[in-house]
Amino acid sequence: MKRRDSLGVLLALALCTRAPAHADVYQSPESFIGEVFGQRVSPKVLWLTKLMQAQASAILGHPPAQLRQRYWREGGRSVWILEETGKEELIGAGFVVAHQQIDHVRVLAYRESRGQEVRQPAFLRQFKGARLARGASLDRDIDGIAGATLSVAAMERMARLALYFDASSRN
Amino acid sequence: MSYNRFRDADRTSKADLRRFVFGFGHRFNDSLTFNSEVEIEHAVASAGDQGEIEIEQAYLNYRFSDAVNIKGGLFLIPLGILNETHEPPAYFGVERNEVETRIIPTTWRELGFGVNGLVGEGLKYDVGVTTGFDTGKLDDPSVGIRSAHQEGQLANARDLSVYGALNYRRPGLLLGGGVFTGNTGQNGQTNPLLKAVAARLTLWDLHAKYSVGRLDLQALYAAGTLGDADRLNAAILSSAPAPFAAPKSLKGWYMQAANHVYRRGDFDLAPFVRYERFDIRQQEDPANGLLQDPNNLERVVTFGLNCRVHPQVVLKTDIQSYRTDKTKNRFNVGLGYMF
Repeated sequence: MKRRDSLGVLLALALCTRAPAHADVYQSPESFIGEVFGQRVSPKVLWLTKLMQAQASAILGHPPAQLRQRYWREGGRSVWILEETGKEELIGAGFVVAHQQIDHVRVLAYRESRGQEVRQPAFLRQFKGARLARGASLDRDIDGIAGATLSVAAMERMARLALYFDASSRN
Repeated sequence: MSYNRFRDADRTSKADLRRFVFGFGHRFNDSLTFNSEVEIEHAVASAGDQGEIEIEQAYLNYRFSDAVNIKGGLFLIPLGILNETHEPPAYFGVERNEVETRIIPTTWRELGFGVNGLVGEGLKYDVGVTTGFDTGKLDDPSVGIRSAHQEGQLANARDLSVYGALNYRRPGLLLGGGVFTGNTGQNGQTNPLLKAVAARLTLWDLHAKYSVGRLDLQALYAAGTLGDADRLNAAILSSAPAPFAAPKSLKGWYMQAANHVYRRGDFDLAPFVRYERFDIRQQEDPANGLLQDPNNLERVVTFGLNCRVHPQVVLKTDIQSYRTDKTKNRFNVGLGYMF
């Protein structure tokens, strides 16, 4: 391709593609919760005791940002909206927990410059059925995405935290 | 940080704070971001030292959607596996592999504009127009065309280059390849003998990475051609204090296998082995004493251990054995981190 043609293609792409208002937010938490339950469900609050803060710190590798965690529960399922830093930016994800295992996961916001593949169903399906095992780790290995190691690790940490919070909220 | 202890007593064993990188970024809004990396090499940078301060990346990215991102500035070229993911915890071995150093000149960045995005499930494309190489600046054929890359420093840009890459990622799997091509004579801006000489450079690669259970497998093939090598020889003879034969073709490949034998929490212990081979063929001109350097046809075996004490902190050690230039045989220790 001639140089002038290449520049033309870049310019055409720029002009023809409309920018959405919030390019890196794929779904709002409200929309995700509504999709899970099919009806309006009031939020509940889990207060993090010192013991829970210590366990959350062990899972995350840093102290949790929150002293209380909002969640939604209906018909044996709970929804946890969590945020965690991948490499540099926060990743927002919704976790649905049922019967002490992950039912499904959705990435709601992703702002890193690389690693958007963690949004793909093939990656997220690996969490289905995952439970907490010894040491608050997952009971399975999650295959990584080349070039997105830290985003994958952040998703794993959030999955473990969602399971831990779900278990704590039932006690 | 790295420590290289050579078996050959005549080679100096060294410990070095090899690279220290600061990452700066800014989010102007949900769509427009700035990313950069500033690197200090070899601990001290001054007129009397070997250290350097470099801008490795400094670009603006405008994200229209997952499928379309446009970036402009100084950014990494998406060839190979290592160039875009070159942080020490992300690769095996204290030293970066030879193929992605001598054939693909990691860390390789250019000034320009690019478009990238995800199409379908897991397929990422990258295309762009950038500055290219200036073969008037060639001064070290042992690293292929690396010494002719301009790193965004007053880059001669009469000849621009284009690149394209496709990478398919699934959990545990990466398949991809890329190509970069452009003229490198730069209309003789560095060496007048290269005026009107195209010296077209084309580099390409294919790569694969597969993680199954505790096993990590990785392979890469890279190759390239540089046109007008005889004209480059004439230019080198006219200007280089120690003339050498210009490279005319490059190829190399490696295979690597690692086994995560022990994982517990953040701790991960993984022995690995890598076999690599690279051939940098030079345009010989015996009448003028320009000959092929035998050390540019090399095979390297590396046995080592990566010990991650945290996903972002790694202690590495390995032994490297070179078949042609045995003076490079060595024992390495490295410490790497990113945050």
